[in-house]
Amino acid sequence: MIVSLIEWLYSQAMWFSHTPGRYYVLATLLPVTAFLLLLLGGGIRSLVRPLRRTEPSARFLYYLLGGDRPLRAGAYFATVAIALSALLAIVGLINYLDEYSAQLQSPTPTYYARWAENTTWASIGPTAGEHQLPAVQLKLGYRIDHLTAILFAMVTVISTCIFLFSLGYMRDETEETVTDHEVHLPDHTHLHRRGRYGRFFLFLSLFCFSMLNLLIADNLFQVFISWELVGVCSYFLIGFYYERHSASTAANKAFIVNRIGDAGFLIGLAIVWSYFGTFNFLEIQGKLRCPDSDAHRKGVPVQLAGTILRGERMADQPRLVQLTSTGSLAVLIPDHFHAGPLEKGIIDSPDPLERNSQFAVMPYWLLIVAGLGIFLGCAGKSAQVPLQTWLPDAMEGPTPVSALIHAATMVAAGVYLVGRVYPLFTPEVLLVIAYVGAITLLIAASIALVQHDIKRVLAYSTVSQLGYMMLSLGVGGWTPGLLHLLTHAFFKALLFLAAGAVIFGLHHQQDLRKMGGLSRKMPITAFTMLIGVLAIVGTPFFSGWYSKDQIIGQALGFGLTYPKHLLLAILPIVGAGLTGFYMFRLWLLVFTGTPRDAHAYEHAHESPWVMTLPLCVLAIFSLGIAWGPQFWSPEGSYVGQLIEKSEPDAVVLGFGKVIHAAHEHHLLAGGLALAAALVGVGIALAAYSLRKFDIARWQAALPGVHRFLERKWYFDELYNVLLVRSTVMLAFALSRFDKRTAAPGDADAADRRVDPSSLDGAFSAVGLLMHRAGLRLREVQSGLLRRYVLVLILTTVVMFAILSILIA
Amino acid sequence: MTELTLTHFLVLGAFLFCCGVMCITIKRNAIGILMGVELILNSANINFVAFARFSPTFQLEGQIFALMVIVLAAGEAAVALAIILNFYNNHATVDVDRAEDLKG
Repeated sequence: MIVSLIEWLYSQAMWFSHTPGRYYVLATLLPVTAFLLLLLGGGIRSLVRPLRRTEPSARFLYYLLGGDRPLRAGAYFATVAIALSALLAIVGLINYLDEYSAQLQSPTPTYYARWAENTTWASIGPTAGEHQLPAVQLKLGYRIDHLTAILFAMVTVISTCIFLFSLGYMRDETEETVTDHEVHLPDHTHLHRRGRYGRFFLFLSLFCFSMLNLLIADNLFQVFISWELVGVCSYFLIGFYYERHSASTAANKAFIVNRIGDAGFLIGLAIVWSYFGTFNFLEIQGKLRCPDSDAHRKGVPVQLAGTILRGERMADQPRLVQLTSTGSLAVLIPDHFHAGPLEKGIIDSPDPLERNSQFAVMPYWLLIVAGLGIFLGCAGKSAQVPLQTWLPDAMEGPTPVSALIHAATMVAAGVYLVGRVYPLFTPEVLLVIAYVGAITLLIAASIALVQHDIKRVLAYSTVSQLGYMMLSLGVGGWTPGLLHLLTHAFFKALLFLAAGAVIFGLHHQQDLRKMGGLSRKMPITAFTMLIGVLAIVGTPFFSGWYSKDQIIGQALGFGLTYPKHLLLAILPIVGAGLTGFYMFRLWLLVFTGTPRDAHAYEHAHESPWVMTLPLCVLAIFSLGIAWGPQFWSPEGSYVGQLIEKSEPDAVVLGFGKVIHAAHEHHLLAGGLALAAALVGVGIALAAYSLRKFDIARWQAALPGVHRFLERKWYFDELYNVLLVRSTVMLAFALSRFDKRTAAPGDADAADRRVDPSSLDGAFSAVGLLMHRAGLRLREVQSGLLRRYVLVLILTTVVMFAILSILIA
Repeated sequence: MTELTLTHFLVLGAFLFCCGVMCITIKRNAIGILMGVELILNSANINFVAFARFSPTFQLEGQIFALMVIVLAAGEAAVALAIILNFYNNHATVDVDRAEDLKG
């Protein structure tokens, strides 16, 4: 038996070595297993709870699953599952890199199939005939490339740290009754509830699964599924303390704002599906971007390769499309085509069945709409202006959730997707992305300057850094943007967990004005957080420097190439200065100076090892994740070079000049960014550490500006006036249709009353009419035989009379 | 005296039919209703026989049908009498107006 077991294990191992991409599938499925087990356990527990006093078996199950106290085993299981995922991800990454370099030496045909698989989930359209392909197929699958492999490892490692941290941070939730001091009940007491340790880890696991599934997906459809799952998990976790009004409102806000973005995403998906007939990233790229050789290995004209072909219909021959660089139609390229007709003009084939063999066209503006729609979805998830308002409110969730949302999962999804569907974006869309990113980074950084809540400062810094990433992607800095996503994930997770440790040590105090001097009490937290702060500010040789320096270089290159977009170069440099100021302000207010709240300071304590260990791990990553053989050069970053390997060709084709300019003015950009950051840090040090001047005087001098920033540029107020209030009023007005006007003090009678003027009343009236008709009709069934006979006869007579009239 | 024609027989049949229907609708006694049913059946019989007599193509069929109706009427009477007996056993009356246990 042992032999057979070993054989089985061996066969499984061979299975993995045959398609090592399945490491990633397994790693993705581990968290969802934890989720399902926790769900099952919790479900059984609450099912048998009512029976626990009477049924012995129910009692056994009930106490096996923890009884009245929340069970810790589920949380440990979830943590082990995600740790295993991280292990698999690292093994997979090493394997992938090995095989990739081996593949470069001696190409093997099976290479692609080993790291990508897909299966048809549903197929629509004609399937008749053996050789005819189904018109459209909806496929599920995965594809591992450098970007996916690296981000997958990042997400699992950070998630493991966050899970470990949560084991300590959420330990209040293991109690049988938890008192929520934020909830005031009508009888002037606080809410008492059961601890929700398991629930927390349940959703955390689902969150990780969704994000991992999003990363390995090889098609937009699967991304969309995970996208929505991520959204709903964030909803559950932001509203984790759902008895608090602020938490449930924040959860709703996050969900609804994301729906706005998702509406755009859906529009994009619909356009892609109807014109491309596929959701697969590679196939979309293949249809839209002209390859450099045709089906007969004949090269296409060099200026066309890799671009989106555009054309115009000939006036005399409507099916013939002449290629021009400014045409109003975009040409979709089939798998098999001849390069010959490209210059003379191609024939447009409207039959969707011939997609694989014939050219087709779509309106160019619809391509722009598709790109903008997908970007709107990304802007919602990644909290870009104008959909950024949900992210700071999401601070209502427990701090590890904030860390997870801000570092590894939710907000990363948007940036990642922009990177993934990059070939789909037209230059117009990319310009929009760049401007949205630049505006976001400035607005968020300016708001972060004046916030008092430690988590809100970090939240706005996340929005700002996401703005950097979007800006970078928009100006052709594909690699720097995604490298920044990676480095930012590590240091932002570190910053949030450190903030969590501070909040935990101060017994849920989040106000910066009540902190101070904590470095004496929490040396590890203070030191690790300082590393995170230095990294985000862009201190040379910290991870953040490598990515941010390249982003600003790229933006400067763009600004110098296209002088009318110089603003895109100025904003990130200003943003770097603001970042330096607000991050050091945060750190100095928390950890240095004299304690502002003696009571809180007295009780402050360093966190247990289960919380400081993740901090140390993340600090090491924040310091050195981007290091490479050329230590001194941001472009020498090893991870950056790896990410660059999956950069789409569209980047170099579209932004060759910009990249060239970026290289040329690289030192200038780095110097400017560093100078700006130094100014910001210097002001923060002078104001909060050396006390050269009182920052409150500035606030007093510019009260309007201060209030404007403190109110977050009045975005919430604006949306309230423009959208929320009108929607709510409309809802109230519509709800009138559904309400009956009750007589005062007569609730019961109001229920029975039929008011046909309301919608509900109208439906009730129909029901009541039927009821009354039934009451009348039942009297016909009198049971009197003689009446039946009479009716029978009269009916017959009448029928004969009618018949005779009709015949005559 | 005029000769008897088909019309005379049909009028007689119709009259008998009306009597039967009248009997069913008016009588409360179950036996009386049964008699009304017999009258209706016999009015039909008269029509059958009359058509058999006056129509050259239906000579046999009409008479056979009449015989059939007589046999069926006997069977029907037996079944109806059994129902009436049972009804009497349960309600101690043969008044059909009391047979209203299933009314809506």
